Amino acid sequence: MGEERRCAPPHVHLNPPGAQTAVAIRDVSYDYVTNGRVTRALARVSLEIERGTTVAFVGPSGCGKSTLLKLIAGLVRPTEGAIAVDGLTVAGPLKNVGMAFQNPVLLPWRTVLDNLLLPLEILRENQDPRAPARALWGERASALLGTVGLAGAEHRQPRELSGGMRQRVSLCRALIHEPALLLLDEPFASLDAFTREEMWELHQQLRLQREFTGVLVTHDLREAVFLAQTIYVMSASPGRIAHVHRVSLRAPRTLEQLYSAEATALIRDMREQIRPSRRAVA
Amino acid sequence: MSPHLRRLVLPLVVFGGLVLVWEMAVPALRIQQIVLPAPSGVVRTMVQTAGPIAFHARHTLVTTLIGFAAAVGLGLLLGFLIGASATANDALYPLLVGFNSIPKAAVVPMLVMWFGIGAVPAVLTAFLLAFFPVAVNVALGLATLEAELRDVLRVLGASRWQVFRKVGVPRTMPLFFASLKVAVSSAFVGSVISETVASNAGIGYLMAVAASDFNTRLAFGGLFVLAAMGVALYGVFAAIERRITAWAYAE
Ligand SMILES: Nc1ncnc2c1ncn2[C@@H]1O[C@H](COP(=O)(O)OP(=O)(O)OP(=O)(O)O)[C@@H](O)[C@H]1O
Ligand SMILES: [Mg+2]
Repeated sequence: MGEERRCAPPHVHLNPPGAQTAVAIRDVSYDYVTNGRVTRALARVSLEIERGTTVAFVGPSGCGKSTLLKLIAGLVRPTEGAIAVDGLTVAGPLKNVGMAFQNPVLLPWRTVLDNLLLPLEILRENQDPRAPARALWGERASALLGTVGLAGAEHRQPRELSGGMRQRVSLCRALIHEPALLLLDEPFASLDAFTREEMWELHQQLRLQREFTGVLVTHDLREAVFLAQTIYVMSASPGRIAHVHRVSLRAPRTLEQLYSAEATALIRDMREQIRPSRRAVA
Repeated sequence: MSPHLRRLVLPLVVFGGLVLVWEMAVPALRIQQIVLPAPSGVVRTMVQTAGPIAFHARHTLVTTLIGFAAAVGLGLLLGFLIGASATANDALYPLLVGFNSIPKAAVVPMLVMWFGIGAVPAVLTAFLLAFFPVAVNVALGLATLEAELRDVLRVLGASRWQVFRKVGVPRTMPLFFASLKVAVSSAFVGSVISETVASNAGIGYLMAVAASDFNTRLAFGGLFVLAAMGVALYGVFAAIERRITAWAYAE
């Protein structure tokens, strides 16, 4: 199924995105329909994500953060509005995206290495020009495993790994094909505090090296402040963008900076913004 | 004793004990041999009729395995279809469940009407009993695919066919192999039922003939053979399952 999935239908008039805009979301609403009952998950969300930056979405549970990620990835289509990635309207699953979730779903019958190579196998089968030469696969996988502290784990089985190690493998799988867009849905939520902070630093390091655009969904406000250049605070369902914060901590960021006056004030502000809408849900 | 050996030895000890009780109860309670023969008598008859028993056992085995093989083929196909397509699931699953609730023994006379007495009804009954567990398990394996995994692959440009091949099929294999041991037992039941009613060969036939001759020892001999074959068939496929899906058990 190699058909073109992204094309701009004539009736959608998007403003020509600046060269710096990786993702443009215009007036997007989304309704889930189950047994004829309509649940509005997102209402009129508009924003732009600048290439090479990471944005974070925070907000109460059920406010539509995961739905927004699926919309960006093209896994579901907006009920209203449109999304453009690299200036093209998203009309089906994108092809150059890496995704990682809270649950690091690895294939138990494949070794760590073979799990990592799965994206490359797909690219090669589809004769995607981005697929590197077969001879380079092992090297690339090993290098990536090295950066997440799993050097030498290539031939281990997923079941032999701890939860944090699996999570790191899942992150590597999202990065192995060097995607332009990385979508992360609470990827560090099940990790212990120390591993989580290591993963933040790793994420920052990879982003500075590779210049991908990152979209992070998280419940951890410190995580959002550490990783994102822009944080969107969403209101309870239907999800809307309630507040936007620019994070101006200088790069490369350090964990120390999270204790700065600026960071603590920001975290406090966001907490106050999320709390009332939590109450509204309950 | 290692736990593994224990699991092997304990049932054998109990089994041996039961046979011993049986052996002693028959003369002690003065039960007539024609009602309930002692196990030793049954074994003696089995040794005397070893040739015919082997012939009929082979026949039952072959009909069972042919029916079973056909059931695995169709079961896989149906399971993949139902698991991969929501439309096929909605259309076929209720029919499948409805079909499975028909007592298959009731179908045998129909099969005899169409195909006459012989091996064909036995193969078909075996097939009818065996394909359901295969189809359901395969469909289940595909239907419970983690959404996250599918999403990860879809955003790489993977087609539904690729997701099916790379993830769906291997993920379903443990369930598929688990269903084989159930299916082979069902096929065995099916072919023996059909043989007792309408055949001129097979252990089922042998037992039916022995019963009508009041040859109780031979009838029991047939039962022993069936028990041994049933356990062996189940055992073989259970072993294959363990061998192939080691990862699913190691969790
Ligand atoms: N498949 C679905 N069918 C129907 N409603 C759904 C479905 N998935 C999500 N929803 C609803 O849409 C809303 C947004 O869900 P979503 O998963 O996007 O929230 P979230 O912000 O990611 O929440 P969390 O922080 O708990 O992960 C919720 O009200 C949820 O009940
Ligand atoms: Mg979510």
